Amino acid sequence: MKNRMLGHLRIIDFTRVLAGPYASRILADFGAEVIKIESRQIRRAAGAYRGNYDNHWNRNKRSVTLDLGRQEAREIVRLLISASDVVIENFSPRVMFNWGLDYEKIKAVRADIIMVSLSGMGQTGPWKDYVAFGSTIQALSGLTYLTAYDKNQPIGVGYSHADLVGGLYGALAVLTAVEYRERTGRGQHIDLSEYEALCTTIGPAFLDIMANSGEIVPDGSPGGTDAAAPHGCYPCRGDDRWCVIAVFSQEDWAALCRAMGRPSWADDPKFNTFQKRRKRKKELDRIIAKWTAARPPEKIVRLLQASGVSAGVVQNAEDVAHDPQLRSRGFFVPLTHPRRGDSVTERSPVRMGREAATHWKSAPSLGEDNEYVFGELLGFTRDQLSAYIKKGVVF
Amino acid sequence: MKSGLKGDTLLSGIRILDLADEKASFCSKILADLGAAVIKVEPPGGDAARNRGPFAGNNAHPEESLSFLYNNINKRGITLDIEHRRGREIFLRLAEKSEVVVETFQPGYLDGLKLGFDVLSRVNPGLVLLSVTGFGQSGPRKNFKTCDSVASAYGGQMVTAGLPAKAPLKPYGDQSYHIASLYGAIAILIARRKQIRTGVGEHIDISIQEAVTSTLEHQMIRYFYEKAVSRRQGSLHWNNLFCILPCRDGFIQITLFHQWETLVEWMAAEGMAEDLQDAHWADETFRLKHVGHVIEVLQRWTEKHTTRELFELGQLMHFPWAPVVAPEAVLKCPQHKSRGFFVDIDGCGGKRSLKVPRLPYIFSSHTVDRCRRAPLAGEDNAEIYVGELGFTREDLDRLSVDQVI
Repeated sequence: MKNRMLGHLRIIDFTRVLAGPYASRILADFGAEVIKIESRQIRRAAGAYRGNYDNHWNRNKRSVTLDLGRQEAREIVRLLISASDVVIENFSPRVMFNWGLDYEKIKAVRADIIMVSLSGMGQTGPWKDYVAFGSTIQALSGLTYLTAYDKNQPIGVGYSHADLVGGLYGALAVLTAVEYRERTGRGQHIDLSEYEALCTTIGPAFLDIMANSGEIVPDGSPGGTDAAAPHGCYPCRGDDRWCVIAVFSQEDWAALCRAMGRPSWADDPKFNTFQKRRKRKKELDRIIAKWTAARPPEKIVRLLQASGVSAGVVQNAEDVAHDPQLRSRGFFVPLTHPRRGDSVTERSPVRMGREAATHWKSAPSLGEDNEYVFGELLGFTRDQLSAYIKKGVVF
Repeated sequence: MKSGLKGDTLLSGIRILDLADEKASFCSKILADLGAAVIKVEPPGGDAARNRGPFAGNNAHPEESLSFLYNNINKRGITLDIEHRRGREIFLRLAEKSEVVVETFQPGYLDGLKLGFDVLSRVNPGLVLLSVTGFGQSGPRKNFKTCDSVASAYGGQMVTAGLPAKAPLKPYGDQSYHIASLYGAIAILIARRKQIRTGVGEHIDISIQEAVTSTLEHQMIRYFYEKAVSRRQGSLHWNNLFCILPCRDGFIQITLFHQWETLVEWMAAEGMAEDLQDAHWADETFRLKHVGHVIEVLQRWTEKHTTRELFELGQLMHFPWAPVVAPEAVLKCPQHKSRGFFVDIDGCGGKRSLKVPRLPYIFSSHTVDRCRRAPLAGEDNAEIYVGELGFTREDLDRLSVDQVI
């Protein structure tokens, strides 16, 4: 059975591309009725994110088609909103306003409506109209600068991480406002900035700069200022195979020395404290890399984990897809699309009790739920609906 | 209320006991920022996460940890040894009065203390228990030790970051922990709907690895649909549409996703479009196939400009470009200033004025302009044990002598 914990929640979803659809997907996975408004304008803006990506990010949702360029379509949206709990959108700030669908206007339609506006820079401020993709925000937040081997060549994460973080905060915003409304009867508007969202994930870096009036120079080490030394990503046997190892304590260090066949190094005064190991980082990294390079990462990790040392295999998508841990937990589930055929999707990482979701509905085809939404929910007759279709209001 | 939200907060009425270490202390921090009453429960002597850097004044002292400060803002703090028989009893009394418990112990640890979900639910049937662990409560790796880099590596996040000839890079900071914490906060509020409706709680099992894999954007989709495996290619994204180019004074993050014609016109107006005006470059498939040449020409052009010129002019023409900045610059950003993104921390004393990012929300119902610093270990023992659980001062002294608190 599909998880119905959010079965009482109806969400009107204007989102497109990634951040917004990810937010509403998280809620749809738990049974919220998410009705995607597919307008010609939104579809154009989404560009390359159709097809397989659409199937992945819009699973478990419903779809209606409306040409929002038309006044009558916007009237229908207002009817829908009056029968819904939440509106979520991720346009630039001016778009909903131009359609007469900004919070002030929709509040007049339904006083306790919850509206979440997720945009790159937020609804206010000198940069509010700036356009941003995930990578734009990663560059502006410091994350790209800090994810590098040195400060002369910024590298970054390699994909739009910020959109996923923004999406998570979007789902959280909806749930928070629902909790508040349940207690007080009051709806509200939440202005969510993806730029701010990503910045919250590097909070300690900002505090470091303020408290120590310093700068943070990227050096390629995974630990940053973590309490582990040595701590690194080391080459292993095979084509592009790597492992990470993090030594947090004296016991970890002794275990690593034993694993490397150098038990006497555990008490060697050159390396026997965290401070010394951090100072001799380069030397240690060379020694460890020499040991790891001759072995497959799985073997190294098994050996170290058996002694309680944090270590992991750097997995690519293929490794992840076949990962015995994920397989054993049934993390990947079938997703059958009427036209695209059988595929696989990952389930929600939120797992609870017996109501675990096991059936997944692929993304809706365009306007798949026109009849349900316009007929059943809004009570349009067949004739009314055909008239709208004829006029191109519904397409 | 101790958070920046005055009076009736967004999450008033939710009390959370936070047993989590650095893996998920950010989870209840978020909920505390939203006004939940969070009590950090630390072992006597304090949470080991207090030993994580960075440290204020670069002084490696448990009360100076800035990561601990950030992850525990707006919480109250008590000390309690839950492994001690009386500590366990006290914990059960607290759980009886709470809606949520968050923990990050190895699977089975709480069961071993007879504080597992079955015991907690007997005491409080509505209780929601959130367990955040490296690999989840089941499976062959459930007992593996984790840290942010182990989760990032296994989750598939590291493999696409970095140069092909060098080691994969881990995205800076505790991105894995933050993603798992966000999922945790979401999970709690989902379970809360059932808790309110039926009075029945839930045990939520979050694997940090799974949380990371859920946020890989293109990687798994490409693999499942096209059997393509993404690899590192420097700043160039998997789809060849995003890269970083040098400017006179730094670097600019650009994208070739939209508005090719406008871009070429812009470069041509400065006499720098070279052959990119030729008709075949207008075809996106051709362009992406020969992206190396496009980037070379673009780079000769970006190198003649400052990041600011390209950012401001580009944004006027709706190019989603931005300078690659160091975090120092983020603190001075006019957008953040205008939206009051960095807020004051109360209680840090006069010795320094620190600010922290608030949550990324402006609510129409509440304003947030400050927060309370993380608690010292056991700072709120008297308030909670005496004020709320009804212990006497003498009880408290005895518990302290017996090292229960």
